[in-house]
Amino acid sequence: MSSVSTTTSEPPDGAGSPISTITNALRANLQTYALIVATLVIWLYFSSQTNGNFLSPQNFSNLFRQMVITGFLSVGMVLVIVTGNIDLSVGKLAGFVSVVVAAVQANYLTQMFPEQGILIAVLSVLVGLGIGMLYGVIQGYIIAYMGVTSFIVTLGSMWLLNGLILLVTEGRTIPANQSDFSQIAQGYLPEAVGWIIAVVVIVWLFYSMFRSRSRKRRYNFELPPLALDVAKTAVFSFLMLAYVYMVNQYKGIQAPVLILGLVAIGVSYLSSNTRFGRYAYAIGGNRQAAKFSGVNIRRNIFLIFTSMGLLSGVSGVTLASYVGYGTISAGQGYELDAIAACILGGTSTLGGTGTVLGAMVGSLIMVSLTNGLQMTNTPAAWQYVLKGLVLVIAVYADVRIKRSNT
Amino acid sequence: MAIGTNDNILEFRNVTKRFAGVTALSDVSFEIQRGEIHGLCGENGAGKSTLMKILAGVYPAGTYEGTVLYDGRELKLENSSIRQAADEGIAIVYQELTLVPSMTVGENIYLGKEPVEHGVINWDKLYADTKQLLEQYNLDISAQATLGDLGVGKMQMTEIAKAISENARVLILDEPTSALTEAEVDKLMEILETLKAHGVTCIYITHKLEEFFHITDTITVLRDGKVITSQPTEDLDREMLVNHMVGREMKERFPQGNHKAGKVVLEVDDLHAVDPRTEREVVRGVSFELREGEILGIAGLMGSGRTELVTTIFGEYGKITRGAVRLDGKPIVVKNSKQAMEYGISLVPEDRKTHGLVLIQSVLKNISLPNLGRFSSMFSINNDAELKESMSYAHSLSIKAPNLHVPVESLSGGNQQKVVISKWLMSEPHILILDDPTRGIDVGAKYEIYKLMNELAAQGIAIIMISSELEEVMGMSDRIMVMHEGRAAGIIDAADATQEKIMALATGTVVKEKPVIPAEPAKAIGK
Repeated sequence: MSSVSTTTSEPPDGAGSPISTITNALRANLQTYALIVATLVIWLYFSSQTNGNFLSPQNFSNLFRQMVITGFLSVGMVLVIVTGNIDLSVGKLAGFVSVVVAAVQANYLTQMFPEQGILIAVLSVLVGLGIGMLYGVIQGYIIAYMGVTSFIVTLGSMWLLNGLILLVTEGRTIPANQSDFSQIAQGYLPEAVGWIIAVVVIVWLFYSMFRSRSRKRRYNFELPPLALDVAKTAVFSFLMLAYVYMVNQYKGIQAPVLILGLVAIGVSYLSSNTRFGRYAYAIGGNRQAAKFSGVNIRRNIFLIFTSMGLLSGVSGVTLASYVGYGTISAGQGYELDAIAACILGGTSTLGGTGTVLGAMVGSLIMVSLTNGLQMTNTPAAWQYVLKGLVLVIAVYADVRIKRSNT
Repeated sequence: MAIGTNDNILEFRNVTKRFAGVTALSDVSFEIQRGEIHGLCGENGAGKSTLMKILAGVYPAGTYEGTVLYDGRELKLENSSIRQAADEGIAIVYQELTLVPSMTVGENIYLGKEPVEHGVINWDKLYADTKQLLEQYNLDISAQATLGDLGVGKMQMTEIAKAISENARVLILDEPTSALTEAEVDKLMEILETLKAHGVTCIYITHKLEEFFHITDTITVLRDGKVITSQPTEDLDREMLVNHMVGREMKERFPQGNHKAGKVVLEVDDLHAVDPRTEREVVRGVSFELREGEILGIAGLMGSGRTELVTTIFGEYGKITRGAVRLDGKPIVVKNSKQAMEYGISLVPEDRKTHGLVLIQSVLKNISLPNLGRFSSMFSINNDAELKESMSYAHSLSIKAPNLHVPVESLSGGNQQKVVISKWLMSEPHILILDDPTRGIDVGAKYEIYKLMNELAAQGIAIIMISSELEEVMGMSDRIMVMHEGRAAGIIDAADATQEKIMALATGTVVKEKPVIPAEPAKAIGK
């Protein structure tokens, strides 16, 4: 009989040699790095076509502000798609939230609490988030516990919410321009606060890098070379500083971008460092295996749609604050932008893979394209054609890269 | 019995096939005569499937050494050329069905070669041809029936009809009867005789030895990738066949265990359970007790309800309609796998790819998936502790992987199985259920898994092992429960067990000289 000879083989290990560590790290994040490079290429291209106006401080600042509303939707959509589901209702839900917030503000809050701007803004936000989350709870219950597929439920929701938007607005545009409320999407932080945030983030980046190294050392794991870790952290620190420098040239850090950043970091952490997140990836990778491993699939999917509802609420509040009114076309087509951003960012429609960071970069690419094409006076028809082509070509390139890697 | 010519349709000459580190076929040479039924015999992992995959083009010319002569000339199939093999007239009926359940019988048979006129499928011709084909072989199947509505037996017949419709000259049947009732097996034998009369050569693979003597003209025995013998069936008897197959004492294949059965930990009392979807009763009265430190083997044919039984105990399949499960004397109701784990019950499922692993995820994430609770608080997972503990299991089971971050799909079958076992060992079960744990893995990995089972039993863990291989179940178990049509047909001590006793219980027959007896029409097949 063939003897047992496995003991002579290389012991399985958490990490390999320093060089393989670097190449592994590069390969694992290849997609994200490629996307960041693609973003920079797009920026440089449009900048050269607009005599540098594309990367002027004002446009740079606007670019990020423009990605915020669908950005919130993309953050939630990543997890939805990772579990092998889809949510077509998020655009209309955000739209519905925005008109309800506008209606409540215009018809009730401003009359009930005249001169109390902050209170009106806070109540508006709470109403918006509450409605979004409640809708997510209902939708999640139907999908997870009643077993109707998410495609159908959310497609139905899309029409249903469109009807509700018409009912609330009665075809009119409702103002939502209370000044404190407007600060949510239109506010800027003072220059000094911007720098303080940059310093805090950089200190935190280095602190967590060293903490991670000391923990690894405690477990006797092989450490990646210090220089590599420092270089990586330094690159992120530089990006942070560059960003703050740019936006401070205009009006300062944009309030909604800060909120989106915090939400994205939070969800990103949730997705990789908690059971909830890990289970989502396992469900998307192999539902049966997850079930046999004791994962409560229904609860997980319910929670994911609930959080998607909440994030749609955030998006809707931001939308109302951003445009300053609620209107019948609010949120039209945002769900497709959010889905496209996820897919550009490497989320597989088959489920099981995808990152929040990727979706954020995907969002930024989509916004950069739209913004750049507008600035170069490309006719609207061609803007659509080009965006469509970019999506398909990007995914095709991704498929090719993956195939050549295996 | 053999046709009296030297006219060979297939000749294997010095065929050797190596995989990374494992020689699956070693210098294989033998002939298959035109128009005969040729039995191919050997244990799991002996090389039968590898050999057939060469014929099917799964392993194309150039990936193996030696030559295969087909009808006098060299068979040179190219990469991914299953189509090409079919064009050559070589058709394979696999053990796992390759049909589309939502399509009709006719659509399935003509899938990919539908009769087309002006770009439109001629449905009348398709169904007329199907009907004619089915009648020709006396198959009682409606051409327009939806495949999924048929029993496994008729599906298998459809699969064969599909192969014949390709004008197959060589038909390979890979364990076609493992899921069939005896009546269906008889029917299959009839079809094979008809095919033979039509001049079709059959290569027949089965683990039921009686069928070789019932139907084949010649038998070739493979063991560890080598041809042990290839001779007319009439020159062989059962005992010789088993000796050729096993070729060594059982003691060598299975490490000696030192099991001391302790107190009873699990009692299953007259358990009945139904499939929650179809309401069909799949477990129909099973009672047994399991002691700590012992290995209870469960034998039975596919569809005997053995997998259904253990997944029901694990809380992931059947709805219990009658009977009870008691853990340490207290009745328990297990509603899902999470609860089962809380009770200290773990299950290594039958099909590692569908139920055991998230193939696209890393080895690490697979091992830790059911055990994340121990590494996490509400809002964080301690990634370092997770890696540390997963590594210690990967080490102790000698999982061969470059590191734990590679996707589990990149590992070999044996190593994938070790990952499944690791993840369940980490949950520190008191009762470990292994459903066919050595299926489709190489001999070395099997031996390691056997050793591990003995170690676990020595630590006092109670083990249930389902196995499709009689030798395995006899070699590893302390007691053997044999299942037949959802019932426990009997429990025997391993010391008294013989293959005949087990097979008789598994097939519901009385041991006689000629064991193929039409049983009562049975329906309890399939999952």
